[in-house]
Amino acid sequence: MSATGKLLLRGVADMRRMPLPQLCTLMTVCMVALLAATGLLILHNVQTEVMRTQGQARFQVYWYANSNMTEVEGQWADLKHVPGVSELSTFTPRAAMAELMRGLSAAIPAKPATPAVAAPQANATSANAANATGAETDRSAEAALSGNATTAPATPAAPTVTPGMMTPTPAQDDFSWLDGEDILPPTALISFNIPPGEAPEPWMGRMYARLREMPNVEKVTYNAAQLSLATGWIALIERAAGPALGFFALVVALVVGNTLKLMMLARRDEVEILSLVGARPWFIRAPLFANGVVQGFAGSVLALVCLKFLQIWLRSVLDVPPLFLKVEFLPAWQCFCLVLATTCVAGLAAFFAAKK
Amino acid sequence: MVHLDHVSCSLGGVQALNDISLHVERGEFVFLTGPSGAGKTTLLRVLYGDLRPKSGAAVVAGVDLMRLRASGLPELRRKVAVVFQDFKVLGERTVFENIALALEVRGVPKGSIDRRVRAVIRALDLEERSYAPCAALSGGEQQRVAIARSMVVNPELILADEPTGNLDSDLSRHLIELFKQFNTYGTTIIMATHNREVLAWAPEARQVHLVRGQITLPTAEILVDTCAPTRRGA
Repeated sequence: MSATGKLLLRGVADMRRMPLPQLCTLMTVCMVALLAATGLLILHNVQTEVMRTQGQARFQVYWYANSNMTEVEGQWADLKHVPGVSELSTFTPRAAMAELMRGLSAAIPAKPATPAVAAPQANATSANAANATGAETDRSAEAALSGNATTAPATPAAPTVTPGMMTPTPAQDDFSWLDGEDILPPTALISFNIPPGEAPEPWMGRMYARLREMPNVEKVTYNAAQLSLATGWIALIERAAGPALGFFALVVALVVGNTLKLMMLARRDEVEILSLVGARPWFIRAPLFANGVVQGFAGSVLALVCLKFLQIWLRSVLDVPPLFLKVEFLPAWQCFCLVLATTCVAGLAAFFAAKK
Repeated sequence: MVHLDHVSCSLGGVQALNDISLHVERGEFVFLTGPSGAGKTTLLRVLYGDLRPKSGAAVVAGVDLMRLRASGLPELRRKVAVVFQDFKVLGERTVFENIALALEVRGVPKGSIDRRVRAVIRALDLEERSYAPCAALSGGEQQRVAIARSMVVNPELILADEPTGNLDSDLSRHLIELFKQFNTYGTTIIMATHNREVLAWAPEARQVHLVRGQITLPTAEILVDTCAPTRRGA
């Protein structure tokens, strides 16, 4: 092995001589790297979320209430083949009514139950379940309507409800009297992926005109503000990412660098004695450099392990209704950059700490 | 070995050495004496390249100190060994490791390091403590380790700054005998001391007396003054 290799190994072996300063330094490096990594994690997830929703446009199309459904269904079939359509949810008047009935049932608060009216608990459960799925598609709405969702009064069960238990009454959630009233129009909710290279707003304008010109269409709405918001977020992230990364890098460099320098104070006697006995600068600095590199590497890897636990915890906390935020871990290249930067800073700080 | 001509040096705005001329030949044993603040330690620091003289000419072991750059310092330190009053040994390392350090930095092969270190350890009666950490040694033993470290590299010049300052009389005498032994083999020794007893143990050594940064002739009064309670040099 070369003399330099031996010196580097000696630097690593010498770490055992001062376990407490080494441990304190490792903890500091780990915590600072964790702080920076957490910042990166937030930035990465905000960016991912915005990028996921950017380039998506949603249009709600309303036909006249008394439109011929055969014609409308033909238009829906045609809409599926329009370039860029990513999702199409349609509602017949009946399906829309079913949705309305379910919505009304769910919106009315329950009253304290009495034994005589306690039975329809199953009713409320099925209505809430149907509501929770959203029942966005034609098929699911029809199934809900024809099936057992909300309208049929359940068989009274034994009066086992304890006083004060919250249970809806049949009078509250039974909107079956609305059934058969075609007062709602056929509607369609269409999601588009804006073609790459297209400016969003003009494209949306053109699509709006195209949808509006379809026969029997009464009105078309779309949320231009959502797209603007996404565009704004992207612009903000693009502007903030550079300074944020610079800030994290500076914090890591300053704290890790100064911590390593402070740790080297514990070895100043060794440095002084080595200098007195005629050691060349490289002989003195190589072991310190190795020490710094090991500290930086171990600290940053430990920080990433801690970050993984943090990410798992955040995911469990945030990926629930109504947030549904999926916190992703940092991509591999960012992990690599973090470890590399921390290791380099720690190594260089230790190397130059011995400079008189 | 040492050629100083009209050397002056200041420390923090104070003239610590003032127009000093000193010539020491190879193989000489020289005592630097003088009261505290006289400039003994400053002179030694100049000789091992820790301080740069302000003016004059200074050559030590063939190295011109006036032109010495940082990169040339290890070369000077390999010819000039230094022993301090406060030992300067690494407490967490063993006796063997401390002594071997001086050879490792010179790139001496491991086998040769083993032989030379063991020989010096035997000569200084440290065999039983070879693998004890220096922090566990007495002051006298630590000083012997420091002397062993300086001697194991067979330097051209040994500078000793109050090496007996923290030791009792018996140990001090033993160490002076060791220095004398190495001097017999041709090593030049310059030792700063306050201790009259030490001067008496090496009567053949030349005495250079310093007062207020200048070399003067030693007088009886000055010699009495050097035995004052303060034992640390300037």
